[in-house]
Amino acid sequence: MSAFSWHEDVTLHRQSVSRRGFLYGTSAAAAAGAFNFHDVMSAQAADLRKQGRAMILLFMQGGPSQLETFDPKPGTDSGGPTKAISTAAPGIQIAEGWEETAKQMQDIAVIRSMTNKEGQHDRAVYQMHTGYIPSGSIKHPALGCNLAHELSHAERELPAVVSIGNGRAAGIGGSGAGFLGVDYEPFHVANPGKLPENVAMTVNESRFKRRLGLLDKLEGEFASQGGATVVENHRRITDKSSKLVLSPLTKTFDLSHESAATRESYGNTDFGRGCLLARRLVESGVTFVEVRLGNWDTHQDNFDAVKGLARQCDPALAALIADLKQRGLFDKTLIVWTGEFGRTPRVNPRTGRDHWPRNFNALLAGGGVKGGQVIGETSKDGTSLVKDPVSVPDLFCSICKSLEVNPSKENMSPLGRPMKIVDGGKPVDGLFA
Amino acid sequence: MIVRSRWFSVGLALTLSCGVTAAACAADNRTPADSNAVAAEVDRLILTDLRHSGVNPVDRCNDADFLRRTTLDITGQLPSPRDVTIFSLDPDADKRQVLIEQLLQSPEYGKNWARYWRDVVYMPATENRARIAQADFETWMADKLNSGAGWNRIVTAMLTATGDVHEHPETALLIAQGAQPAEVAAEACRIFLGIQMQCANCHDHPSDVWKRNQFHELAAYFPRIAVRQTRQPLAFEIASVDADRGRGFFFRENPEQFVRFNDRNGDGKVTKDEMRDRAAQAPGGSIPAQLRDRIFEQGDTNKDGALTAEEIKSMPVPNQARRGSTEHYMPDLNDPASKGKLIQPKFFVDDSSPGQGLSDEGRRAAVAESFTSRKNPWFARAIVNRIWAEFLGEGFYMPIDDMGPTRTARFPEAIDALAKGFVSNDHDIRWLVRTIAMTQTYQRKVAAKPVAEDALPFAAVTPTRLRADLVFNSLFQVLGINEDSNEGRDAMGGPRAYQREPRFQFDFLFGVDPSVPKDDITGNVPQSLYLMNSNALRAALTANNNTRLGKILRENKHENDALGELYLLVLAREPSKHEIEICQTYIKDVGLRGEAYEDLMWSLLNSSEFLSKR
Repeated sequence: MSAFSWHEDVTLHRQSVSRRGFLYGTSAAAAAGAFNFHDVMSAQAADLRKQGRAMILLFMQGGPSQLETFDPKPGTDSGGPTKAISTAAPGIQIAEGWEETAKQMQDIAVIRSMTNKEGQHDRAVYQMHTGYIPSGSIKHPALGCNLAHELSHAERELPAVVSIGNGRAAGIGGSGAGFLGVDYEPFHVANPGKLPENVAMTVNESRFKRRLGLLDKLEGEFASQGGATVVENHRRITDKSSKLVLSPLTKTFDLSHESAATRESYGNTDFGRGCLLARRLVESGVTFVEVRLGNWDTHQDNFDAVKGLARQCDPALAALIADLKQRGLFDKTLIVWTGEFGRTPRVNPRTGRDHWPRNFNALLAGGGVKGGQVIGETSKDGTSLVKDPVSVPDLFCSICKSLEVNPSKENMSPLGRPMKIVDGGKPVDGLFA
Repeated sequence: MIVRSRWFSVGLALTLSCGVTAAACAADNRTPADSNAVAAEVDRLILTDLRHSGVNPVDRCNDADFLRRTTLDITGQLPSPRDVTIFSLDPDADKRQVLIEQLLQSPEYGKNWARYWRDVVYMPATENRARIAQADFETWMADKLNSGAGWNRIVTAMLTATGDVHEHPETALLIAQGAQPAEVAAEACRIFLGIQMQCANCHDHPSDVWKRNQFHELAAYFPRIAVRQTRQPLAFEIASVDADRGRGFFFRENPEQFVRFNDRNGDGKVTKDEMRDRAAQAPGGSIPAQLRDRIFEQGDTNKDGALTAEEIKSMPVPNQARRGSTEHYMPDLNDPASKGKLIQPKFFVDDSSPGQGLSDEGRRAAVAESFTSRKNPWFARAIVNRIWAEFLGEGFYMPIDDMGPTRTARFPEAIDALAKGFVSNDHDIRWLVRTIAMTQTYQRKVAAKPVAEDALPFAAVTPTRLRADLVFNSLFQVLGINEDSNEGRDAMGGPRAYQREPRFQFDFLFGVDPSVPKDDITGNVPQSLYLMNSNALRAALTANNNTRLGKILRENKHENDALGELYLLVLAREPSKHEIEICQTYIKDVGLRGEAYEDLMWSLLNSSEFLSKR
């Protein structure tokens, strides 16, 4: 058995795909075991630089208010009681409650002109993850899975894509690998700080290994009775799982290896622990990590609710930037903060704000993005865009640019329909120095 | 016999041209075809083609394999050790047929296939909230299947459904696609006709004969369905919207009329209070407070708290301008924001048209009629191909839901023989299952699929992975866990209680869309980790007084007997001599009987055979 690989069962897909007369991209062919690790690395020597690239998506599920985060409108009806504070970047003001983030503003680009049309959670979440609007006939891969498909090493002990948070709601719409298959499916961590479910052995290590040996022997019968292919496929997956179970890299999931001061800086919250885990995972070679923070759907009591959410998000976001910088990972790791849409400038009678896809915020930091700047501008009352609208495909193209992935690359859907990683859009040039 | 020879010729003709043989179909359809005769004919057709290509079919499978395979395929259950013993010893030459009949009459038959259809409908859902009614849909479908309702009647119910999603769970497909005309049309066409039309949503189909406007003509049967929230929390209904303009759209269509209607004080403007006062009489239903707020936010440009007709006209076009209209519009690709071109319903298979301006009821009755018509060859072919693929591991057409006019079937006469027999038996699914299960083709041993891309299938049964519900049933049965017990279940109710059911959580981890080719389903790491390390299984795998394993060890002092029982329990067969040797050696090496058997049972549960059709 060659070294552990998460890519192996791409070969299984290849048969059915090629049967329909289509070829996967060349990187999939490489990943599919046509070459060994060394060959892959030499074949892609020119791209080696890409290999260190990673992305962390901080997804604010429910739709964060732009007015209480990074596009405050103090002194207007729209702005409500929210005050603005100054930041480390001269001239850039953000909402109060984000004091730690404000200190890192030299490294952050704020996009105030994100604009979209989907105002329904499921559909907008799907779109903000895949770049496509949902369709019953095709499951689009999430951008993160596409990035992992392009960037991750064939040889690795940890999964290429990890999603953190939200308890059991593992598969929020559009966050899956879609037609890219199980190798790029996100590995879900419900409770950051603990080992993911079922990774810990229920018997001691020597007995676990003994069981694996027995299993291997007992598989012989079915293999000889017509099940050879099934047995071989199953063996590959069993190998991957058992190598993860036995891998020293599982200690990545254990945050007790971090100093008390580091843990403190991220905040004593699930989201803070999720961000710390994200940094550890990126450090261990994971390509894409999503950390989710829910409850942003503030139809009622928007102002109090966002204060509470900011208390969880602000220290974690700031600590993540500082920590990545300190470890020299910042330039190759892109952090994106956003949600599925923004919220109405008008405050509703329940002191809430409703869904508003017309203009909302995204933050980008690291990964070669020029910090200390604002992209786009909204009108005084916050109800319209004044300049530089950024669409979802524009944002995705910008992410691809940071990670040096070609957004126009096409992968074949199961029906033989070529799907670009990003359909349309162009990178926001001002983002990059 | 007469019937049999006639199929042959008609079946062949059908594959060449459907229209020509329509009359012959209708005549033949009146005599219900006999299951055994059709099974024999299908076998003959498949064997002939296989022999032509120089492929030798493998032998008939043994009784234990047949029992496990058929019980899993028909009822979704694993046969018990007792079933295996009795069936193997039964001298009746017709015992396989008797077994098939028994399984078909068991209520588990309907339950099993209802779960299959639940996954077909909900797995590709674009509206996740639809899942709140999935348990109701399962019950509804199980009742229909167990009562022997024809597939044409089931599909008609699903296409014409209205009402509360819990009380009328046949709304499943409509709500799963958010009642959006294009999505409903694409999914109904894919699932019930085996034709993928959705590419034609945006352009003429690259490889099929369908044109873009034909897809939109199909969508034009569905523009008047709407999802509405009902008074209960998290409950929805499918409603017909025949009154011109759904709620909230009236004001855009006719700003002057809107202002006249609401303007109580005659100042030519409408305030929120005025709108609220007139809400009850508003055409197309009242506009909810939230929407009212939004209209003012967007429309009241001079912020005087009132809307004029001019202000309404200058409002930005909403992003779903076509939604809520009672007619279907094909979007103009050069100007996506515009309303597009009005399209009338027309059925792409035979170009029949139900007429213009029909009500929702009329349109959907018409589309159901066209879908399920005996003259529409795709309807029977799609279900035959789908169920055949579930039994044999591969369809005549692959992928099963992409049969299109330019695709070719392997063994086209065999699928048409099945389709014709099915139609002549009033679309009876039991008839179809019985016939498939009775073929020698289904009763062959498993063997790996041929590697060559153009090699013919069905020289053997493909050993495919079991669906999530089958693995769940097998696990619970082997470990002696009762699904309905309250163990490990919380007492909280609420509309999302179903998500806490052990089966739901298991399906969440193991579930795969049943329309996906079986070749592509290989399992994944989280599933494997669950079977290896989950605490839920750990206790049941312990050799103590409370477990199945403990009982086997207590009652069987000799290892050969104990091993026989363990294999019967987990794999529904006796162990081979070689397996007994491996196990005996292992037990000796470990030295502790209980511990060794725990490891053995763990290995069998983690084996590929346990997860596969054999």
